[in-house]
Amino acid sequence: MKIHPRFAVVGHPNKGKSSIVSALALDDSVQISDTPGTTHKQRSFPLKVDGKVLYELIDTPGFQRARYVLEWLQKHAVSADKKHEVIQLFINEYEDNKRFNDEIELLKPIVDGAGIIYIVDASKPYGEEYEAEMEILRWTGQPSMALVNHIEETDYTLEWKRALGQYFKMVRTFNPMTANLEDHISILESMAQLKEEWIVPVKASIILFEQYHAQMLDKSCEVLGKLVYDALSHKEELSLKTEEVEDRDKEKIEEKYKEYLRKLEIKTQKKIEKIWKHEHLEKTQTLLTFEEIDLFSQEAASVFGLTRKELLITGATSGAIAGAGLDLLFLGHTLLLGGAIGGLVGGVGAYFGFDELSDIKVLGQKVGKRYLQMGPMKNRNFPYILLGRAMYHTSTIANRSHALRNTVELNTNNAFKEQWLDDDLRASLEKYHKLFRAGESLDTGILGEYKALLVKALKKINNN
Amino acid sequence: MHLKSYLNLYALLQNNVSTREERRAFGLENDTLKNKPIKQLLAWENKYIHHLKKPLLSEDVSSYLYMVTFSLAIIAFILGLLSGITLLSYNGHEPVNIVYFIAMVVFLPLFTMLLVLFSMLRAKNSQSVLVHLTPAYWMEKILKFFPSIDDKNIKKFKINPLLTNWIVIRRSQLIALFFSLGLLLALLGVVLTKDIAFAWSTTLHITPETFHGFLNALALPWRDTFPTAVPSIELIERSQYFRLGDKLSEEMISNASQLGQWWKFLALATLFYALLLRCVMYGLATLGYQYALKKSFFSLEGASLLLSNMNETMITTNATVAEHIVSSSHTDIQEIRQLKASYDFVQGWAIPISKLQVMNDTMKVSSPNIFEVGGSNTLSEDRAIAHKSFGEVLLYVKAWEPPTLDIIDYIEELVGVVDTVILYPIGIEDEMYHTKEKFIKIWIEKISMIDNLIDNNKKIWIKIP
Repeated sequence: MKIHPRFAVVGHPNKGKSSIVSALALDDSVQISDTPGTTHKQRSFPLKVDGKVLYELIDTPGFQRARYVLEWLQKHAVSADKKHEVIQLFINEYEDNKRFNDEIELLKPIVDGAGIIYIVDASKPYGEEYEAEMEILRWTGQPSMALVNHIEETDYTLEWKRALGQYFKMVRTFNPMTANLEDHISILESMAQLKEEWIVPVKASIILFEQYHAQMLDKSCEVLGKLVYDALSHKEELSLKTEEVEDRDKEKIEEKYKEYLRKLEIKTQKKIEKIWKHEHLEKTQTLLTFEEIDLFSQEAASVFGLTRKELLITGATSGAIAGAGLDLLFLGHTLLLGGAIGGLVGGVGAYFGFDELSDIKVLGQKVGKRYLQMGPMKNRNFPYILLGRAMYHTSTIANRSHALRNTVELNTNNAFKEQWLDDDLRASLEKYHKLFRAGESLDTGILGEYKALLVKALKKINNN
Repeated sequence: MHLKSYLNLYALLQNNVSTREERRAFGLENDTLKNKPIKQLLAWENKYIHHLKKPLLSEDVSSYLYMVTFSLAIIAFILGLLSGITLLSYNGHEPVNIVYFIAMVVFLPLFTMLLVLFSMLRAKNSQSVLVHLTPAYWMEKILKFFPSIDDKNIKKFKINPLLTNWIVIRRSQLIALFFSLGLLLALLGVVLTKDIAFAWSTTLHITPETFHGFLNALALPWRDTFPTAVPSIELIERSQYFRLGDKLSEEMISNASQLGQWWKFLALATLFYALLLRCVMYGLATLGYQYALKKSFFSLEGASLLLSNMNETMITTNATVAEHIVSSSHTDIQEIRQLKASYDFVQGWAIPISKLQVMNDTMKVSSPNIFEVGGSNTLSEDRAIAHKSFGEVLLYVKAWEPPTLDIIDYIEELVGVVDTVILYPIGIEDEMYHTKEKFIKIWIEKISMIDNLIDNNKKIWIKIP
């Protein structure tokens, strides 16, 4: 017998067992089907920490012939302390019989010591056909709890709770489609209460789950920081074949440059989805279709990035901060002109740089090999557009339940920008964007500071 | 910590050596290195180095760098030697003007060292102009045209810009050091082999006193230790050389033996300004190089991931085995839209008779035989109801409850004895028994998958809205 806590998720077919397992195990690969009887074999989802299993969730097939099993058990009626032995007898007798494959698969882990998590859908009325299932589970004598799921809007929780209360010592509500970290932890806490010996390992798992969540958040922000750094410092080169630089060459390098940035964004999104274990995610990103709303369009600029006015303020603030440094250096003998001039220069630069991406330069004229270069990114608004989109994508993915199988629509509006970007953050980010734009070599310390700002912003979004 | 280690780590990370599990296991095995990231990376590299194919990239790059540096150092040494010999060339008619030599061993080194200091401060900038101005940078570019140095592996490899800059800076100091050694050797060689008359000459109106003060200041680092290596005011006066040569004939000729005394000053100026200070610059460049190397370890693509893989607790929640997908055969199920006014039997799966009567009234259906099946019935009760059924049976089922094999068993039994079974998946009472399309689909899908019903599928109909 295994020593770590095990929980068999059981119930009637199509009541959301696989969805709940998917949400609790953070696994979006679990097949969730409308057709009942999709799950034919029990499937284990262990929570492993450095290879050591802390607890195990077991997805099981639904009851198919509960009345038959119950009748068989009742024919072998014994005293309460021996009932679990009769269940074992049933398994022994029908193990090779395909007719009871699903019952055997779901009863086996329970007989082996797994706790029972019985799933019902309280959006549909209670029916007496469930009683045979609950009675069989009672025969196993294993600690059990009922999870009330709501697949649809209608609510029959009260009648369900009345019935479930007679069979289970704990009845909890859990919607796998909307569950967040708090809900997840709350269910784990309930699971810990099922058996005294399980309290310590499951509580330890809860702490680890929180750590795991923080790890994922941290990793995501590291990836986002790298995205902004790579995007801002990137230089695209195009060899020149002719003496004169033609418009065609300029268009070509501009398209290559944009293509690099788009691909970089897609690559980053994949990384984020991998971190949050949403590798099977299907998404539509209308904002990335270049025909109408483009990464470089004015519309995207105002939704994700900064407006001309905000950009002006950010540019002026960062310029003024640099100028104020000079004032401080000269103990104010500059009559604070440093700050004023810095602010003016920064503001004007930012204002006129709103539409521009980067200069296109012809390089290498003297050494023979002539080429066009575009980048590093000159547009002051671009990092905010890119970051806004990335933050939106990351927060959507981070808060998405693994039980969901629908296509994600990554559309947002101005309100999202207000959720994460305030004046202070903007001023702090601008300092780093300036460094990134300078194309200086990657310093892990600087990227670490930038990541910390993003972690704070992402937490703020999640709290909202 | 060496460049070779950096390159080996780069190659290992490029090859994606070791799995997430292996990395964590390594981190746990070497727990004492947890807060020493460089040591941890080096230890990991040491463990997996055998995965790299020989010749190692690090060996290629190191031998390339060694060869280039060695070639440049030899070239610089020869240039220094030739420059020294040229500057000290004495034909016996005119004395050697020490001002040129002082410019070469004091001012040129000081100026270049100042530039190097600026380039050190700007080394972070990958496009640092100062770094790209150094002769070492350009001489290497020229050397690359030699076919023996044209190595594809090296050309393909992109080293961290910060590290590249520091490699160039450090190497430029080494080359300058060799150049200065050449100058010193030339000075000593010429002093040994020739009796040179040194003099100083300038178009500017500089008095011997001023010049003495200037030289005295230059000799500050050694004037207390080697007072003889500081030219005296008398020597300076006697060795001032005029273009028109009137002084040469009287003063200089009478003191010819003393004019050679300048060599000590020149040798110590070379030793201190061109060699000692350059050594200090080389030391600084080495420190900067070590710092850059350390930074570069962390900036290698995949290095931070490797460290986090080693140090972060590895939490996995995934299934241990792949999901088993079952495919089934399908048969067509006949559909009807309109119910008849009466049926021989009306039965409801887990639906009490009282509710069945309400349903019949709602659907305007009548029947002399109404039964509840499934639910709390025993199997033998169901069997008995099935066996006494005949003709057309309307079987209400809860549309939202997916068909289990229990009901399929019953349908199988029923179709064996009756002519037709109309399966009616019905919605909940609160929604006036309205059936959602998705539930109908589930029922059709499930019933059509039951192998045993394929032979009797003509007897089964499903009521659709």
